[in-house]
Amino acid sequence: MGDRKSEQAGLLAELKALRRRVRTERHAYWFPLVLFGLLTCASVPFYVLPGRPGAGFRPGRPALPILGGWPGVTVQGFAGYYWLAALLGGLLLTLLWYRRNAGRVGLATPARGYVVTTAVLTVLALVIPPLSQVRSPRRLSWLQHLHVLWPGDLVLRGTFPFVIIAAGLWVLAWAERSRALTVIAAVYTATALLASLYDIENVLFRLGWHSSGSDLDLTSLPNVLLPALVLLAAGAGAFAGQRRHRTST
Amino acid sequence: MSPAQDLPPAQPEPPEPSEPPGPEHPTKGLDETVHQRHRLGILTITAEAQRAEFGYLREALGLTPGNLSKHLTVLEQAGLIEVEKGYAGRRPRTWVRITAAGRAALAAELATLTELLRRHTAV
Repeated sequence: MGDRKSEQAGLLAELKALRRRVRTERHAYWFPLVLFGLLTCASVPFYVLPGRPGAGFRPGRPALPILGGWPGVTVQGFAGYYWLAALLGGLLLTLLWYRRNAGRVGLATPARGYVVTTAVLTVLALVIPPLSQVRSPRRLSWLQHLHVLWPGDLVLRGTFPFVIIAAGLWVLAWAERSRALTVIAAVYTATALLASLYDIENVLFRLGWHSSGSDLDLTSLPNVLLPALVLLAAGAGAFAGQRRHRTST
Repeated sequence: MSPAQDLPPAQPEPPEPSEPPGPEHPTKGLDETVHQRHRLGILTITAEAQRAEFGYLREALGLTPGNLSKHLTVLEQAGLIEVEKGYAGRRPRTWVRITAAGRAALAAELATLTELLRRHTAV
């Protein structure tokens, strides 16, 4: 009976080790982290405004308020269009990356849920503002109820794309079955919410950084650079960890 | 996982004197098709990925192509996996995907093995 017991224990341990090995070898999430970190860095020019804060404010509803915030308050007018292209382009590149990785490693990650989630949120962010404003005939009056999906103050600083990226990361963490990515998603979500609801410059001001006195208004930059830093640092760490694992095996 | 380490076929154990009468012995839950070291390995790998490539399975389980094909045929005929053939450029590739029945069978097998181990530890 002792032999049988050790045989069963050995088999269970082998299967557990095999599962862990497969899980580690198919992880490839460093790429979307770095990609969206770089896309966030590339958006910096849209968050640098000329002159004093609010100088470029234009009254009225902007074209893409959920994706681009209110132009002139903390962000320039084309930010919404930039983020629409960046989110959809980033998703396409991520999907191609996972396909390439599956062919190279021999294990496919179910990344479709991540892509669909992020794409649907992006499209909703695009269509909710115009649809909820439509003066529609009675049979389409339900469109006006779409305003309940409006994300409130999260859109004010033009940083709602970070919240969309964060939502996608939770789905990706589930698909990758990665505790590390779950932690990264949690940290990034907290950072994205902070950047959307609070002027991080206030903290830096207390630490001695003053953005005033320049011809440019840089007060929004910390709200963009902090989430970018989280993604880039996490992506670099994941890349190093996955490379180390491949080298050791 | 080393090759040629197949488990003996699942057989009901004789009742042990210290075992109280009650529900069926866990060995009754062992599935002949699944209760084999390499087939368990195939199901474990495919359950962890959307699909796994033939070459990866062969390398991870330390099997010859012919041996792996035999195990895949058994699992496919039992409806526990699906085999897809395709190309990566000009190179033919075979992908293996676990089915819902395969996931259920793997979960049942692992639960049975865990229960057997628990019983043996308790005795």
